[in-house]
Amino acid sequence: MISYIIRRLFILPVILFGVSLLIFSMIMMLGPYQRLSTYITDPAQLKGVDDVEQLIAKYGLDDPWYEQYGRWISGVAQGDFGWSESAGAPVTTAIANRFPATIELALLSLIPVIFGGIILGVISAVHHNKLIDHIIRIFAVIGWSFPSFVFGLLVLMIFYGVLGWLPPGRLSNWATEIVRSAEFANYTGMYILDGLLNFNFAVVLDAIRHMIAPVITISILWWAFILRITRSNMLETLKKDYIRTARAKGLADNIVVYKHAVRNALIPVVTVAGQMILGLAGGLVIVESIFNIRGLGQFMATSAQQLDYPGVLGGALYFGLLLILINLFVDVSYAVIDPRIRLE
Amino acid sequence: MEWQEVLKRLLQNKISLLGILIILFFIVVAVLAPWIAPPQDPDEPYLIPRGGWSIEPQPPSEEHIFGTTEGQYDIFYGIVWGTRTAFRIGLVVVGISSTLGIIIGTVAAYYGGLIDEIIMRITDVFMSIPFIIATIVLVTILGQGITNVMIALITFSWMSTARLMRSQVLSVKEDEFVQAALALGANDFRIIFRHIILNTIFPVVIQASMRMGSMVITASTLSFLGVGAPEGYADWGQMISFARNWILGVEGDPLHYWYTLVIPGIAITLFCLSWNLIGDAFRDILDPKLN
Amino acid sequence: MSKEALVEVKNLKTYFYTEEGVVKAVDGVDYEIYPGETLGIVGESGCGKSVTSLSIMRLVESPPGRIEAGEINFKGTDLTKLSEKEMRKIRGNDISMIFQEPMTSLNPVYTVGDQIIEAIMLHKQVKRKEARRQAIEMLQKVGIPLPEQRVDEYPHQLSGGMRQRVMIAMALSCDPQLLIADEPTTALDVTIQAQILELMNSLKESYGMAIMMITHDLGVIAEVSDRVAVMYAGKVVEYTDVDTLFDDPKHPYTWGLMNSIPKLDKDVDRLEAIPGSVPSPLNFPEGCKFNTRCPLAEGKCFDVEPPLEDTDGGHMVRCWRYEHLEEIKKRGERIYEDRGVQK
Repeated sequence: MISYIIRRLFILPVILFGVSLLIFSMIMMLGPYQRLSTYITDPAQLKGVDDVEQLIAKYGLDDPWYEQYGRWISGVAQGDFGWSESAGAPVTTAIANRFPATIELALLSLIPVIFGGIILGVISAVHHNKLIDHIIRIFAVIGWSFPSFVFGLLVLMIFYGVLGWLPPGRLSNWATEIVRSAEFANYTGMYILDGLLNFNFAVVLDAIRHMIAPVITISILWWAFILRITRSNMLETLKKDYIRTARAKGLADNIVVYKHAVRNALIPVVTVAGQMILGLAGGLVIVESIFNIRGLGQFMATSAQQLDYPGVLGGALYFGLLLILINLFVDVSYAVIDPRIRLE
Repeated sequence: MEWQEVLKRLLQNKISLLGILIILFFIVVAVLAPWIAPPQDPDEPYLIPRGGWSIEPQPPSEEHIFGTTEGQYDIFYGIVWGTRTAFRIGLVVVGISSTLGIIIGTVAAYYGGLIDEIIMRITDVFMSIPFIIATIVLVTILGQGITNVMIALITFSWMSTARLMRSQVLSVKEDEFVQAALALGANDFRIIFRHIILNTIFPVVIQASMRMGSMVITASTLSFLGVGAPEGYADWGQMISFARNWILGVEGDPLHYWYTLVIPGIAITLFCLSWNLIGDAFRDILDPKLN
Repeated sequence: MSKEALVEVKNLKTYFYTEEGVVKAVDGVDYEIYPGETLGIVGESGCGKSVTSLSIMRLVESPPGRIEAGEINFKGTDLTKLSEKEMRKIRGNDISMIFQEPMTSLNPVYTVGDQIIEAIMLHKQVKRKEARRQAIEMLQKVGIPLPEQRVDEYPHQLSGGMRQRVMIAMALSCDPQLLIADEPTTALDVTIQAQILELMNSLKESYGMAIMMITHDLGVIAEVSDRVAVMYAGKVVEYTDVDTLFDDPKHPYTWGLMNSIPKLDKDVDRLEAIPGSVPSPLNFPEGCKFNTRCPLAEGKCFDVEPPLEDTDGGHMVRCWRYEHLEEIKKRGERIYEDRGVQK
């Protein structure tokens, strides 16, 4: 397993370098004037400058691309992503402020995706071609086909507009006041966790209430995705010889299914987890925009609408880095589940 | 399995038949668009005609059978011509990105070694940034417009086909008939095209049909977020973005403007659903593991 | 044998209901297995030999499969009548089974120890520690070196022969009275095959269990069996003790099987081969099911299926013309063509 992890770690810098080049090449598609904005980390820098050409020269925006890349990447390495017009703050600060909301939403979304998708996938496979299998599959294909923004708006229309149950935003006004007050310690910026740590359960409940609609919206698609993969892997696994061996031992059906089949069927599911997390991250852009959650996704969307290049590029780079690390984690957990890789 | 057999089974399966019928319906709408919804300006058929300048959407009436959106864009016209937009985006993007993926994946698998390693690492890099986010960035930089949306979608969607094609080719490469062809001295090009591609094309076709839906969703998402189609362009995603400010209705009638969301929502969902139904049935038919 | 039979299979019929039609995989099979003996079941693939064994274990996949008729009496209880729950107490405990593919028959994500311990704890009232001790003891008995170490290894770390030993250890861990071995050596190297058969023979002695050995290989039958049932197209066609079968095969099919394998002790320069292949179970011929390949078939063979008849002192044969075969054998002639000209 150690050599496996070392191999992964060895590839990591190659991928990081590649991603930085990809983002940089997109920056280079902009003209020098537009690019200038990615080098300004504070509007104060512009004070007293009359000539933009002067600035272009100062930041070397006419230099060969590799020199510009060198300067850009060393800035990025120090957390310098430029000034975000849309956030009115340096990109790094804007991202840091919005990060907890996104993580909270993403982590909560994994719960229905993983449990709902896997459990229903297993049930569907065990009852292959029976009524319940057909019903689950129909729901899955509908869920998979529903564009998140249509589904999200429908949820908002019905559960907020008509029923008033699930409001947008992260907290109600009264809860926001509590969270902003001096007595409330903001340990993580994730309101559910902070509420628990402050023993303020009213805030916890309010935060959960606000999270239900976005979590459902973001998970509907990936729930269906995991379900389909679990189902087909389960069907394949149930035909394996070792399942027959387990039955021949005298094990009860549910032990055969849940102990012997599920673990094997989940190994390939883990390999698509990386793909799923990428998709979930993309979904955050839509869901945070619809439900007005001040997270990274919403930041990406507003930056793009306002042509805030540093915001968009910094956000993309940040998402890229984060997901590379998550995928590394997924690869390692893959090795933990599958002894054939662990003991290689 | 022969393609005639596959087609026969697709038509026999009720679920895929439903998908095929929905797609046929959309094709008819797209083809007959100039007659169903005659454009005001024949040179600019994708511009939705406006029934006025008032901001408030108007409910279905005789003049506007599906009603109008914010800014009085006719919903019916937008849906009909939006069908053409959807097909155009889906076919162009899936067609080009699949072709790119097939070529890249085949080259990687066939030549192997360093070429394979480099291509696969580039694929990894392109896959590191979430698809929607990557396309948002590229469209922001290239500027609004359907062509730029398609360029962005193609740039970031060839990788899954490349990976699939690579693994397919790797497994077929070991097959006896390819080994035999090599032994007979067939040249590289003929081996690749005659034997490998023909024997690996089905999974790629399944994947492509599944991607038709998701490409159209992503394009619509960009329009919905305001970075895709220019304002007034017949695009389902934009129709829905027009609905965004009105989904809470008016005091006492939360569903007052339902048509602005529900009608374009049905169009886009049905379109994607039909492709996924076909893709699903396709996979069931061709997956030897499940038979 | 005068002893009470351990297993008595009577008129067993197991059918599969497929889209193409009903497959009568096992169609009226009778045999007995006595305590401590090895019954060999031999036949080409597709003759129904594996399905009979899965029927005894009640592991025929349903749907599409179903035990249509017949009895499987195990120590006086009819297994076909038991509930699934009662049957689970018998599987792995009174009757256990090992399979053809040792490479895939063990679960890759659990250690071999876990898999043996699971069986022991399921059927014996013992703590995990004791079960582990017994598992190590079993591994030792089946000849696995360093059992204390191997017990914590995963299947992919073992060779095919070692895995089959693990399967045997698992099967014997609850002292079964019957071990069903479905082609246990087919997937193994020849040298390993001999070791596994030898191991099974010696374990049979020390455990006093009965073995049902299913194989397509007459060599394996000769090595381990006491009595043999030859199966063809879902039916037993010849049923007798092993010596009689090899000395005096009476069914033309058995005769063909025997003469298609080279023998070391006889100086034979030509081998015979049975022409054609087993008919599709969806499309069995009228009359004797072997009539499509039998060189002796004539008249009645094409109209009426022969019964399984006792020819002399317990040698059962399902053939109208076995006496005719006797005469041919006496004349020292062949009935099949040379293997070399087989079409």
